[in-house]
Amino acid sequence: MHGDRVSVRSVPTGLILGVVLVAVAFTVRALSPALDGWGLPDRAQDTVTLALSVIIESAPFVFLGILLSTVVQVWLPHGFLLRFLPRQPLLRRGAISLLGMFFPVCECGNVPLARGFMVGGFTVPESITFLLAAPILNPITIITTHQAFGFGDGILITRIVAGFLIANVIGWLYSRHPDPDSLLTPTFAASCARPESGGRGDDHDHAHDHGPGRRPSRIQTSVDLFAKETAVIMPALFVGSLVAALTQVFVPRSVLLALGSNPVWSVLAMMALAFIVAVCSNVDAFFVLSFGSTFMPGGIASFLTFGAMIDVKMLALMRTTFTTRTLVQITALVALMSAAAGLLLNYVG
Amino acid sequence: MSAKRVSAKRVSARRVSAPRDSTARFSLLAERWRGIGLSLVVVVATVWLGLTGQLGLYIHPRYFVFTVIMAVLGLAFVVASFFFSATPAGERTSPRRLALSVTGSAVLLVIAGVAVLALPPATLTSATATQREVNSGGLDTTDAAEQAATLVGTGDYERLSVKEWVSLLAQSDDPALFADKSARLTGFVLPDADDPDNVFYIARFVVTCCAVDAQPIGVPVYLPGWSNSYSTDEWVEVTGEFTPNPSGSAAASLAVEPTTIESVEQPSDPYVY
Repeated sequence: MHGDRVSVRSVPTGLILGVVLVAVAFTVRALSPALDGWGLPDRAQDTVTLALSVIIESAPFVFLGILLSTVVQVWLPHGFLLRFLPRQPLLRRGAISLLGMFFPVCECGNVPLARGFMVGGFTVPESITFLLAAPILNPITIITTHQAFGFGDGILITRIVAGFLIANVIGWLYSRHPDPDSLLTPTFAASCARPESGGRGDDHDHAHDHGPGRRPSRIQTSVDLFAKETAVIMPALFVGSLVAALTQVFVPRSVLLALGSNPVWSVLAMMALAFIVAVCSNVDAFFVLSFGSTFMPGGIASFLTFGAMIDVKMLALMRTTFTTRTLVQITALVALMSAAAGLLLNYVG
Repeated sequence: MSAKRVSAKRVSARRVSAPRDSTARFSLLAERWRGIGLSLVVVVATVWLGLTGQLGLYIHPRYFVFTVIMAVLGLAFVVASFFFSATPAGERTSPRRLALSVTGSAVLLVIAGVAVLALPPATLTSATATQREVNSGGLDTTDAAEQAATLVGTGDYERLSVKEWVSLLAQSDDPALFADKSARLTGFVLPDADDPDNVFYIARFVVTCCAVDAQPIGVPVYLPGWSNSYSTDEWVEVTGEFTPNPSGSAAASLAVEPTTIESVEQPSDPYVY
């Protein structure tokens, strides 16, 4: 009745169960190709293939994000990162938008990391700044963008500057919000208010939560965090990937490509493409390079700025943490500013 | 309500790390299994694809090592999470929300299990290719053309792949340049959008990051009534020479006039990079 396999006493049973389940999963996977001929229609088959490719591509970054977030929450002393940041809010967000230089996890991994930062003491606007800036202001993205475009056409500079500005402007706007906690989903806001971290120096609340029993070890807390974060992020990743795949199969891409040479339409079309393709920010430069001959530089810069921050998969992931209303606002703001950057480059650059 | 309180009290009596009532406990378990279950499915599939050399069906080779390492780490966490008990969430859920969340988790897990673990791995088909105009992007043509040019220098044109011919054709469609050069190409059959009766592309997908960004590229082949002998999506090897495209309506100005077309097995690495 108590489901004893989750209690500490029956440790070996739990472990054996885990190993058996993993073995069963491997067996199913290894035997199933033998049952060929599912006879799925092409479109259904392609939807599965596309969704799977996004999941297999993103899951490692999600795991990495969760692991880094665990390090920040459980293994570093409480408030360790905060110690090194300036106190003045503007400078502080400026510094936070450069944190991606040390956590190059790509946009999908940023969501669990930003959640970890918020639990660890970042304010809501500060984590929004991190979430928006880190996919662009990180070494891998900058190097790949440079490899793809060099300094020509101002694409790289526009991407870096626009990424920094957009993240900080939006962070500043939300810092004026009277009640930033209302930007979060109630579930996540509750878990921020009651940190689960096993880090040092935050003992209050723990007695209340865990009762008088002994405190869980750090390893146990880490594993627990992994289970909790995957419970939230993995369903979002699956749903986001499925939406991305369905859009790919049912929206013809050729429609967008017809718009490439007009200064205004090239910007809007490339942003739409970025939104539905949902390609990772650290390689999107290579992807868009192949459209370089069709599209104006401003369109490409908008693709690289907007797509790194917002796309279908990211919205699903961010919905785990922020309310729909907040996401609509952020999306609109990022879109407007990315478009402005692209238009500026097209007309002035 | 009061009955539940009582039974809840009995359950949690003296149990150090048990949630306060059985509903909370059940919802905690459901949530934990959702995350662990989905992770399990993904890491097992990834490791298996890596071991059997099929990761290339989904992602670019530059990610292979990182992906497999993270999957193995993930696997370690998944197994470890069976080892430890769950820490109580400490929040109460209404029975209706609980039922919803449990059903939702179960449905998602089953779908994920079938799609990720049971379906045989597959490449993209022409259904996706037709949504993305052929040769409209995907290749860094200058780079690829340079590589192709070095191969052209050797005079062994049959070693040029679909990718290299496509980049050469993107540089120039001067018939004189392609005359008397014979091509040997492997790819899947993709009907031409404008003249599907007489022209098909011998096509491949170019992948930059993962299959979701795949762009179809291809070399047009002119063969009226091709669909009587070959089917869309079939993998074939074509040999032939380039001629001005006899088709009036197809967009490409040059096409291969095939001398032989043979059915072949799908290559183990169907995408090009």
